[in-house]
Amino acid sequence: MAYVATRGGERAIEQSERLFREEIGSFDAQRVNDIRQSLPYLVDRVMGEASLYDEDLAALALAQTGGEIYEAVLLLRAWRTTQPRLTVAEPVEQGDLFTHRRISAAFKDIPGGQVLGPTLDYAHRILATDVLRGDRFTPSSVEPADQPAPAQQPSVSAWQAENDLVDLPEPDQTAGGDIPDLTREPLLFPSKRAHTLQSLARADTGGVLALGYAAMRGYGQAHPTVNELRLAEADITVSHPDGRKFSAGRVKVSQAEVVSKKSEKLNLGFAATFGWNEVKCISAATLDLNSGGAPKGSATEEEFFLYHTEGVESSGFCIHFKLPHYVTFQSSLDAMRDAKAKNAAKTESATSDPAPTKSEPAE
Amino acid sequence: MADTDPQLDVLARAAPDKLKHFAETLIGDLGEIDVLKSRTGLIMLPMRDTAQGTVFHLGEVLVSEAHIRAGDQQGYGMRRGHDLEAAMAMALVDLALQNDVQSEACAAFCDQAANDQAAEDRETLRRVEATRVNMETF
Repeated sequence: MAYVATRGGERAIEQSERLFREEIGSFDAQRVNDIRQSLPYLVDRVMGEASLYDEDLAALALAQTGGEIYEAVLLLRAWRTTQPRLTVAEPVEQGDLFTHRRISAAFKDIPGGQVLGPTLDYAHRILATDVLRGDRFTPSSVEPADQPAPAQQPSVSAWQAENDLVDLPEPDQTAGGDIPDLTREPLLFPSKRAHTLQSLARADTGGVLALGYAAMRGYGQAHPTVNELRLAEADITVSHPDGRKFSAGRVKVSQAEVVSKKSEKLNLGFAATFGWNEVKCISAATLDLNSGGAPKGSATEEEFFLYHTEGVESSGFCIHFKLPHYVTFQSSLDAMRDAKAKNAAKTESATSDPAPTKSEPAE
Repeated sequence: MADTDPQLDVLARAAPDKLKHFAETLIGDLGEIDVLKSRTGLIMLPMRDTAQGTVFHLGEVLVSEAHIRAGDQQGYGMRRGHDLEAAMAMALVDLALQNDVQSEACAAFCDQAANDQAAEDRETLRRVEATRVNMETF
């Protein structure tokens, strides 16, 4: 594909960027702080898609781009390249998660019980228009229980394994720098499972939802039921130079297991991401569940969904079509005009030189 | 979670202003300190998939790191986010603990921070517990 070399337009380009930024207006640390405090789910989504966890940076990226999510994610992906990687933490284990929400749609009486946590699942969706008339929206306070919930919740699939419903996997012993890493190696197919799950963790939420939804509606091999959904905090366990391990803090994570019952045992699909983003995890886990044996070119085929849900690449490819394509488009036009001219000439030739009739044998 | 050092856990999560203020009171007694590292960087965070047991990368976390030394002992701080001073403060307290400098004050600081963090967690989990569903089968 050719991109025409053009000159000129520098002033217009500069002014267009100024126009974009001026319409957003000036901002400072207070606006960044306000975004971080008031839009935590948006901040979470951006951190997940950027594959970079820092609420301040994500809020800053949103402030700087006026909430243009793809630009914000791109800013963060670019910024991360300026930072050294210090180490690889210990793997997060489900059983260690500081859990805020843990539900199952497959089984009512799961070990540890069902804890709804923060959710609008059962809320009326009513826009608080009174705020626009000057009222203040103040949510009702939670009435805390006398006793705290357990910080850690048991695994639903481990309980299912005890009941011979699923086969528990052998734990992967890969650690540290040996874990396949998409930021340092290409995505090749058939994809390593570690690449698949990393790619889904950083995938575009809308893209994953669209393809996952296609599978849910029947364009896949398996219909998902949410086996377990968690919103939690995970410790970042690192090592002191003298060898002591410690938690350098916690990050918010979401994870979903979905299940289907096509064989004698239950099949599981899994996905997780930074931040609290249930739609993404359920959709991604549905794609994982459906990927085995998916037809080539279908929405649930691994290569199809991994390539098409990488937000920075797909949005970048999409918006590149706005850039000058004068040479390629002109070339297409030339070909079109040429074909048109040839057709016209053929038609003219046909009308001025009528075809021989039966009474006039051709020579 | 792997067995972790409770004092380092607490220092990494301690309120930054309190931590910095406390660490300043240690500097005079710590003697000459070499700063080996004071920087921000990324920690790659892996997670284990519960369907097939695979370990994969969730993504990277911004952290601040400080590594210091006084004599044979070293102090280390690593905390989530961009706060080099807080990481250095953590390293100073760690160094003081290793060198038995103001050890009672350090232990008291860590105990207080641990209590604060436990109380915060407990309050969070009381609010979570309020959302527990007791379902009836119809």
